[in-house]
Amino acid sequence: MYRILEVAHLTESTVRLRTERPRVKILAGQCFNVGVPGSGINREYSMYSAADAPYLDFLIKVVDGGCVSPIFQKLQVGDAVEIDGPYGDFCLKENEIEGQHFVFLATGTGIAPFHSFALTYPTLSYTVLHGIREPNEQYGSEDFRRESYIPCISKNYLDRTSIRITDYIYSNPISANSIVYLCGNRNMIVDALEILREQGVPGDNLITEVFF
Amino acid sequence: MRVAISYPPIINKYGQKAMVSQNRNVQFFKKPTYLLPVTHAQATTWLRDLGHDVLWDDGNAQLKSYDQWFSDLINWQPEVIVFESTTPVMKFYWRTVNQVKERLPDCIVVMTGYHSMRKPEETMAESLTDIVLRSSHVDFALARLIPFISTNPSWRLTCNLEGLLIRMKGIELRSTGNFRQVEPLERSPLVDRDLVQWNNYAFENGNFLQTPGTYATSVIRDCMFGKCTFCRYNGSDLTFSMMPVERSLDEYENLINNFGVKEIFDDSGVWYRGREARQFAQGIIDRGLNKKGCYFGINTRFEYLDEETIKLMGKANFRFVLLGYEAADDETLQRLNKGYQLQHVESCLKWMTKYGLHPHLTIMVGYYWQTQEQLDKTVAEVKRLMLSGLARTLQVTLCTPLDYTAYHQECIKEGVLLTQDYDDFDMSKLIVKTPVPHDRYYGAVRDMYSVAFHPRFIFRQLQFLLKFRKRDWQFLFTYGLRAIRRVRQHIFNLTRNEGTPAAYALPTKNVKY
Repeated sequence: MYRILEVAHLTESTVRLRTERPRVKILAGQCFNVGVPGSGINREYSMYSAADAPYLDFLIKVVDGGCVSPIFQKLQVGDAVEIDGPYGDFCLKENEIEGQHFVFLATGTGIAPFHSFALTYPTLSYTVLHGIREPNEQYGSEDFRRESYIPCISKNYLDRTSIRITDYIYSNPISANSIVYLCGNRNMIVDALEILREQGVPGDNLITEVFF
Repeated sequence: MRVAISYPPIINKYGQKAMVSQNRNVQFFKKPTYLLPVTHAQATTWLRDLGHDVLWDDGNAQLKSYDQWFSDLINWQPEVIVFESTTPVMKFYWRTVNQVKERLPDCIVVMTGYHSMRKPEETMAESLTDIVLRSSHVDFALARLIPFISTNPSWRLTCNLEGLLIRMKGIELRSTGNFRQVEPLERSPLVDRDLVQWNNYAFENGNFLQTPGTYATSVIRDCMFGKCTFCRYNGSDLTFSMMPVERSLDEYENLINNFGVKEIFDDSGVWYRGREARQFAQGIIDRGLNKKGCYFGINTRFEYLDEETIKLMGKANFRFVLLGYEAADDETLQRLNKGYQLQHVESCLKWMTKYGLHPHLTIMVGYYWQTQEQLDKTVAEVKRLMLSGLARTLQVTLCTPLDYTAYHQECIKEGVLLTQDYDDFDMSKLIVKTPVPHDRYYGAVRDMYSVAFHPRFIFRQLQFLLKFRKRDWQFLFTYGLRAIRRVRQHIFNLTRNEGTPAAYALPTKNVKY
């Protein structure tokens, strides 16, 4: 059991949970199975915090009609959660971290592993494209280098026209020698892969993690 | 083009046939069990839809001898033959490829499957295979590849479709890089049941509670979790793809109304969970498909389905639920990256049995670290779950490193593999060094299966059957007899090496492959 240290309601349907950290080695980009004690169910969430932070942060998107995330939304500081992991290898290769430019494509809470990358490796060279519906979904944008974070907001607001990640990369081709990580919505990933392949990014440079 | 999707009959020295079983594992059985290879069936349907002349060539399910199968295939004169590889039959496949190429030198042989996708160069070196397809999305890959080949005579030089290893000349190979990990499953056609002769797979399958049964076009490809070290659906290059709920419901409706199936099993890596699981179960009810006498079965994980969802699934006529239990000790679950906690097993099983579902546990023994204490704990816990009625049926296998999964690679790294001969990887014997003699694990297999003959278990089964809304006593006899036959067969297969001098610390055989 791990206690909740902080709860931040970032939007009506997104919450950031900060929990105690298990005493295990964790790599940025890995995920954990997080469950509500006694409920008998869990879900995988990518870590949002730095790999060496003394706590774990998770970004939770509350799924309408879901069984786990609505419970997480109601948790309070001091409540406990079950945490199992870490798992997975949606991680940066140690030998590529220096001298390589990365492109991170995320939708919604799929930004979590990239946020973890940015915090864990401060000198990392990257561009992150964050596909969101509303401007208030730019979770943790202040933790990315300003010039490296590009929000792609699909809803019109103020004087800005809507744009999706796929529109952006179509108009601003990705360099063929970039290593591209994609995380989040399946449809975005499928469409983006199509465009990236047409732009000559080799399959070996495309790494994906589907959230839903 | 003329494309054959081929599964040759493979018979071992005991006269047993290689059958594709759970998790695409190949096991040899005397009594048949025929599982429809769903992704390859989708590929066949898609190629036919694209105008190619396709041959669904499952020599096993079509009850052919090897010679008959081979001669029929050669006579059909395919331009492309697609095989599916897995470790224990690799040597057989390499020989078969070479025989085919001897008779049909211009025929293009494409090797698919989880073994060759992990070791593509090996298959190229050991056989005359033309293309190793490194993608698990065989349908998407072939739907791009075959049209390209048919319109580009110099395809070996020019084809850049991702996920291929292509033979250029002799030993010269060309890789087109990693495959596309995520594909929109809704674009792959639903399986054309007539094209793949669905009836051949409708009866001989131990997982069906009723027949005719069939496999649904999987709603998930690979696995949502995808981290278990022993599983094929795990790896940094694999990630799950999902089909929309409504499309899957349409298929179920078609199978029930137009094919009269009585059971539909979805053997996706892991079936829907959460919102999609509820939407699906509700969709079955809304369409009245729960009133048609058809049972639905799925493959899921502990801690994936909550009580409310399970209740809805019970109402929708779900029955068979396959759950990977693997072992009853925390160390093993952690080493396997199973991602669930033992403390939740009981509540999950209670919900399932409460709402009339039929939990089927899959267990493995013989992990290279498994101590006597861990083994005893697993046996005791499995027996407790079975005798208390929390699980209805079980399947025990010997944990065999296969297809260069993380577990397989770990066994190589740790130096615990006792053989490099792929023929030994058929799950009929332990092939890793273990802390206690192998006979103890074989004994544990026998011990767990013997639960089926325990009076308390039989009483629980009868009690369970009485709860069925459909009081079909025929079910008791048909399924019961099949279950006994399967239990006997599993015990024979998994314990026939008991007492042999295949000690647990034999030196590694020097035979490569």
